Amino acid sequence: MKPGTQKHGKQQTGTIIPMTFKTLAKNPVFKTAAFLLPALGCVLLPHVMTDTYYLGIINYMILYAILCMGLNLILGYAGLLSLGHAAFYGLGGYTTAILITRCGFGFLSCLILSGIIALLFGILLGLPTRKVRGDYFCLLTIAFGEIFRLVAQAWIGFTNGAMGIVGIPIPAILGWSIRTEADFYYLGLILLAFTSITLSLLVNSKFGRAFIAIREDELAASVMGINTAVYKIIVFGIGCFYAGLAGSYLAVYQTTVTPSNFRLEESCLMIIMVIVGGMGSLFAPIAGVIIMTLATEYFRGISEYRMLIIGVIMVAVLLFRPQGIFGTSAFKG
Amino acid sequence: MFFDVLLIGIMVGAIYTLVTIGYSMVYSILKLMNFAHGDVYIFGTFICYTLLEKYQLNPVLAILVSAVLGGILASFVEIVAYRRLRAGQHRMISMITALGAAYVIQNSNELKWGNQVMAFPSILSAKTFQVFGLTIPMTQIIILAIAVGLIILFTLFLKYHPYGKAILCVSEDIPTASLMGIPINKTITMVYFIGGMLGVAGGILYSTSYNAVSLAMGFRGTIIAFTAAVIGGIGSLGGALVGGMLLGICENFIGVYVSSSYRDPITFLLLIVILLVKPTGIMGAAEQTKV
Repeated sequence: MKPGTQKHGKQQTGTIIPMTFKTLAKNPVFKTAAFLLPALGCVLLPHVMTDTYYLGIINYMILYAILCMGLNLILGYAGLLSLGHAAFYGLGGYTTAILITRCGFGFLSCLILSGIIALLFGILLGLPTRKVRGDYFCLLTIAFGEIFRLVAQAWIGFTNGAMGIVGIPIPAILGWSIRTEADFYYLGLILLAFTSITLSLLVNSKFGRAFIAIREDELAASVMGINTAVYKIIVFGIGCFYAGLAGSYLAVYQTTVTPSNFRLEESCLMIIMVIVGGMGSLFAPIAGVIIMTLATEYFRGISEYRMLIIGVIMVAVLLFRPQGIFGTSAFKG
Repeated sequence: MFFDVLLIGIMVGAIYTLVTIGYSMVYSILKLMNFAHGDVYIFGTFICYTLLEKYQLNPVLAILVSAVLGGILASFVEIVAYRRLRAGQHRMISMITALGAAYVIQNSNELKWGNQVMAFPSILSAKTFQVFGLTIPMTQIIILAIAVGLIILFTLFLKYHPYGKAILCVSEDIPTASLMGIPINKTITMVYFIGGMLGVAGGILYSTSYNAVSLAMGFRGTIIAFTAAVIGGIGSLGGALVGGMLLGICENFIGVYVSSSYRDPITFLLLIVILLVKPTGIMGAAEQTKV
């Protein structure tokens, strides 16, 4: 008898299984409850927490969670170090800002277009991964990020230069006009849910398994017949798509976009959030987002030390726990 | 006009070469992008500024002191943030700690000196002289001479001094060099020290030629060093020279003839184009993938 079937047979005889956490986690009632209760909590949150200050912090957490989950796809799943994520975030922000204020587009179409434009630029920048690898690719993303920011600053006729685009009107989706912090919270929650669901579907699909194989061992994956170059480009593009969505959300949420929203520092902050939470695990970056946002808020009184603290956390985490708090794997290869 | 721009370009190019050498050398040994390089050099430049402005120190002494302090800071960063990660961890990890170290230094600089542009005291004579009907400021010639002198000195050091030879050995192959009895950690710390010193020298010369020093020059210096190193071919001394010169000259022509606000974007575009066409740089040898 094979070991597997033997085990199966033993369970069938009805021995009492002790209620450990593992068996509990397999219980369907528990599984549904473990999903539904936090979901319910999220939906009811603005009714419990009416203070707009705290709600505002949570909204920024959601924004960064979307960004970092996208970046995690690039960093943790495709193994590409991208220091230009803020540029795609900015592309989304500027697309929405310009289309709403100049062309009178509705918010929903702006949101979708922002994502698509970020996706297209992502694929465009991903194309060189066929030839340019490792550190050079990192350099390429830095260069792209800086070009984006500098052009946004210099092209006054189109982007209004360093002043940025101001006065983005209140967005509305299908008659639901989004005004209060609570409204923005729900919009963010919908976007975050969309991000989580699509990403977990993607990662658990055949496509997802292929790019995990590439991360683990690129050479072995290519020998198995996976077109590594195409996968990397597509994964990079998809990661950027979520950054575009987040940028669009930012534009309507803070009603302005300026080039200084999308500096290299911002890309670094996202990377450190992903790393603190843990790379290569779908939801681990959210832990990083929560920790870093709370730390930034906590140290707001000494905001001139902000980058110093972030830098120290960055070095300390990587020296002592390179896989992050909840991560499964550090960089390989 | 054309020759004025060219001359300034060559001078800026020589300064860029100085800044690039330290960065490129670190890369050739450790394959590590030292993001902290620019912030170290601006730290040294700020020190020099304070020594000159506040304490009225002799310029030569001030430059020496600040170069040594910059070198010490660079090696300190290596010991704290990079050394532990050298064995066993992926290179990307130490690149991210490098970025963290860069932020720590940058923020400390900002706390001490602020982020305003400050006037750097002019330490060289403001005389000009005429050659072939061109008016050439003395400052430019002196800066060019110092930069070229330092580059030559460093090349000689690498070629003939035992420590320089040790650096070349380590950059060739770390395990073999270690078997030959070369102390790896000490050599690498020395590379950072020298790189930091040359960077600070470059930073001071740059600030002298533009009479300005500011925090933003630090990060820009890092990017410039990257770009120049990649354009020329990373890891080689000749590459640093070609890349630095090309970048300095191109930048000045773009600044004068195209537009000064598009100078940096075009520089970055140049970097992207070079990366796409020949990722190993103009002077670089092709890298082979191990199977």
